[in-house]
Amino acid sequence: MSNISSKFTVKIAEIVVAVLLAMCSIALMIKSAENRIDWTAETNMGAGFLPFYLSAGMLVCTLITIGKFILKKSPQSKDDNPFIQVGAERYIYLTVISLCFLVLATAYIGIYISLIFFLAFYLKFFSNKSNIFIGLFAYETPILTFLFFEWLLKIPLPQGYSEPLFYPVYDFMYSESSLVEKIIYIIIILFLPPALGLLSKRFIK
Amino acid sequence: METFGLLLDGIFTSLQWFNLGLLIFGCLVGLFVGAMPGLGSVNGVAILIPITFIVPPTAAIIFLAAVYYGAMYGGAISSVMLGIPGASTAVATVFDGRPLAQKGDAITALSAAAVGSFVGGTVSVILFTLFAPPLAEVALAFNAPETFALMVMAFATFVGLGGDDIPKTVFSILIGLLLSTIGLDLISGKPRLILFGMPGFLHGINFLVLAIGIYGIGEMLWTLESTKGKVQMAKMEVNMNEIGKAFKKLKSTLMAMSIGSFLGFFVGILPAAGATPASLMSYGITKQLSKNSKEFGTGVPAGVVAPECANNSASTGSMLPMLTLGIPGSPTTAILLGGMILWGLTPGPLLFTQEPEFVWGLIGSLYIANFFTLVLNIALIPAFLMVLRIPFAILAPVIFVLCVTGGYAPTQSLHDVWLMLIFGFVGYVLRKLDYPVAPAVLSIVLGPLAENALRQTLILSDGSMGIFFDFGEKPIAASIMYIALVFLLMPLAGPIKRKFFKAKSA
Repeated sequence: MSNISSKFTVKIAEIVVAVLLAMCSIALMIKSAENRIDWTAETNMGAGFLPFYLSAGMLVCTLITIGKFILKKSPQSKDDNPFIQVGAERYIYLTVISLCFLVLATAYIGIYISLIFFLAFYLKFFSNKSNIFIGLFAYETPILTFLFFEWLLKIPLPQGYSEPLFYPVYDFMYSESSLVEKIIYIIIILFLPPALGLLSKRFIK
Repeated sequence: METFGLLLDGIFTSLQWFNLGLLIFGCLVGLFVGAMPGLGSVNGVAILIPITFIVPPTAAIIFLAAVYYGAMYGGAISSVMLGIPGASTAVATVFDGRPLAQKGDAITALSAAAVGSFVGGTVSVILFTLFAPPLAEVALAFNAPETFALMVMAFATFVGLGGDDIPKTVFSILIGLLLSTIGLDLISGKPRLILFGMPGFLHGINFLVLAIGIYGIGEMLWTLESTKGKVQMAKMEVNMNEIGKAFKKLKSTLMAMSIGSFLGFFVGILPAAGATPASLMSYGITKQLSKNSKEFGTGVPAGVVAPECANNSASTGSMLPMLTLGIPGSPTTAILLGGMILWGLTPGPLLFTQEPEFVWGLIGSLYIANFFTLVLNIALIPAFLMVLRIPFAILAPVIFVLCVTGGYAPTQSLHDVWLMLIFGFVGYVLRKLDYPVAPAVLSIVLGPLAENALRQTLILSDGSMGIFFDFGEKPIAASIMYIALVFLLMPLAGPIKRKFFKAKSA
């Protein structure tokens, strides 16, 4: 992986990205042309007019960038350094892949469960923290996220197939229990499982 | 003299223990809401409106105005500490606030944000007190052509925000504008650029999706690459001496404060403009006029002061048309206006005579809220700095969680979260190739406003662009357009001058 990354230099990236952007601009011009792209005093501006000419402007800019690359007028056209610093690739790739998995999993198992896995994986890979710390952090963060968004702001986050797991919590949230009872419930949820986990670890030892 | 007496009454009203308690609580809530990515003053005020039904209208408006003010201050906190704009009004604060924090000078960045907000807020509330009725009439003279001219001026200042590579800067502006056109056409209602037939594009692209993608995900990837996951923050001592030193550095930001305060207030009073365009324009103009314009973006206090001054000034300014004409100047004031109607008040010119306690209580509370938010901000600097002491391996996933939830919350669509990830990755790649990303974010914010104004004007003028340059017909629009042209040509003047002198010396 490192070998491939070191061959992919800034110079190559500059031309590859410029060509890709030029192609995207052309595709966007074609897509914009699905609507009317003319502008007359009688009919005024068509719905595709602005997107079409903005894409055309983007195409002109990318062509100038390509021209500068061919004439070696831009600093990037002479830069033979690796596009991603050697040794940093795995951080970038792993972060991008784990984020993609987080969003993908959110659609199916919901954000709260996905966050547990994401945080556990990320902390295990990037930090040198103990498993207990990682477990606690991965457990508490989704709960605090839930309390903030769902309880305080009333903004529901996606729950996917895990939604039924939250029904009892919603029942309690919107029940006629007093605020004190609700706060005690939150404290139990936040602190009881970690405390039990810590105790059982000691007991097993 | 009568105004002064009424103002004193208003200040005394807001200093009553119950109102003062609500004001301080509102400032704290606002600071927190403003600092959360994806949430802004609109969310804070909207969520808290039901609470105000149990208190008198004067106390209610004092509380909500304090939330509004606090959120304006709070937006800067996440911009500086995490590099993610808390709200659109704080997008420009990231440009210099984040580099300052990364250089180990977060105290200066936070002090600049707090003092800038205080100065902007205070200047605007003085202008509000003295000139409310005549300024409301000036605001009414701003129609679609004038608004479009103002937007062109904002875009002209953006060219100066990019680096030396003008085609890449223009590309960035154009892609931001193009992204803002995605969704339903304003006039015909036809779907535009619904890519791959995905229905998620029908509601357009929220600017926060792009901003969080670029400044949250993209920035983290950049940091991960440059430090290989081992970020070392400079050790910072927080004491009054350090804060005093940071304040001394702000002496050089007087020009930024003046531009931010007056421009912010003026843009704020215009219906449909608001604090976001004000802060972006203030940053752009301050950069253009500064002697050290090349240093902007690398962490200069003036780059934090200018947008923060302007967004606070504009938030006060936007209350002017709300109170005097019943026209909201921003989304938050639209909610406040709704609240006023629910409390049984009638916004409009008669409000000043029929409900003086309410109006002057609000104006008085703005002075007090400004003072308390400044004190709270300075007092909480050590707490904000604790964020920077969190190890990067822990802070990074927390920021990712904030990005994902912040990207989801505004529209509650996973489609937007995917877009945010894509923008983050693309933004990282483009930034590495020297494409400036800031103009794209600014353009997506102002794009819909500009398009709306342009198309309304063209309908008025039977498709003629001449209306924007006709002093006889639209003197304000024409004046702004010509000023915009000057701003547009200013970045070109430098290289031409250099070439000229080079040729002469050769």
